[in-house]
Amino acid sequence: MAQARTTPRAADAREARIGGSTRIRGRIHGEGDLLIEGHVEGDVAIRGSLTIAEGASVASEVIEAHAVTIAGALQGDVSASGPVRLAPGARVQGDLRGTAVSIDDGARFSGRLDCEFDLPPELGGTPRGESRARGPARR
Amino acid sequence: MASTVIGAGITIEGEITTDEDVLVTGTLRGKLTAKEAVTVEHGATVEADVTSASLAIAGSLTGNVVANERVDLQAGARVIGNVKAARVTIADGAQFKGNVDMDV
Repeated sequence: MAQARTTPRAADAREARIGGSTRIRGRIHGEGDLLIEGHVEGDVAIRGSLTIAEGASVASEVIEAHAVTIAGALQGDVSASGPVRLAPGARVQGDLRGTAVSIDDGARFSGRLDCEFDLPPELGGTPRGESRARGPARR
Repeated sequence: MASTVIGAGITIEGEITTDEDVLVTGTLRGKLTAKEAVTVEHGATVEADVTSASLAIAGSLTGNVVANERVDLQAGARVIGNVKAARVTIADGAQFKGNVDMDV
């Protein structure tokens, strides 16, 4: 029998979690971290870090967050104010933007990388702010 | 521990369907359908029709509620809407406006 009881849970206060059997159609926004293990259709805009776990699927126009880690399936663009990491098993279709983007072995990605970093001088690096590496990365 | 948690800073606008427990400490607007228990914590805001096995409310809820088992309005709860469940409790200190249907 299902029993509901409210108890103070300070540790949970800043974090959100979409469980594996949960399906959300709509918009998710706010502060704090978000862990998605289920299915989300809609835009996500949070200030904290976002994790799309293995087995999760997200379809959205754009995802805005600080750090983004993806081990599940994502269809949509990512705009991160921090690093973006595609973990093994990730399947991502969309453009990625972040301060750093890493793609682990075993991740599948199709889209554009938009990542600002300083090129070394021997590659024609210019001071930060002007240098910009762009290019399609496909696998 | 609830499997789906809507944290205090998080707002979800849309439709949620789940087989798991749901804990709301943030804001939810739309519709919530859960097969297990739903808990609306103190400080949480729910503007949604809720269907679940059971529902415990200590926060604010606007919408119609249908629970298979029970609905508990706890002290501090503020509920506007109709409540349909076999068992309903309204604690001292809970505010409630709406109809109760216990299916008698």
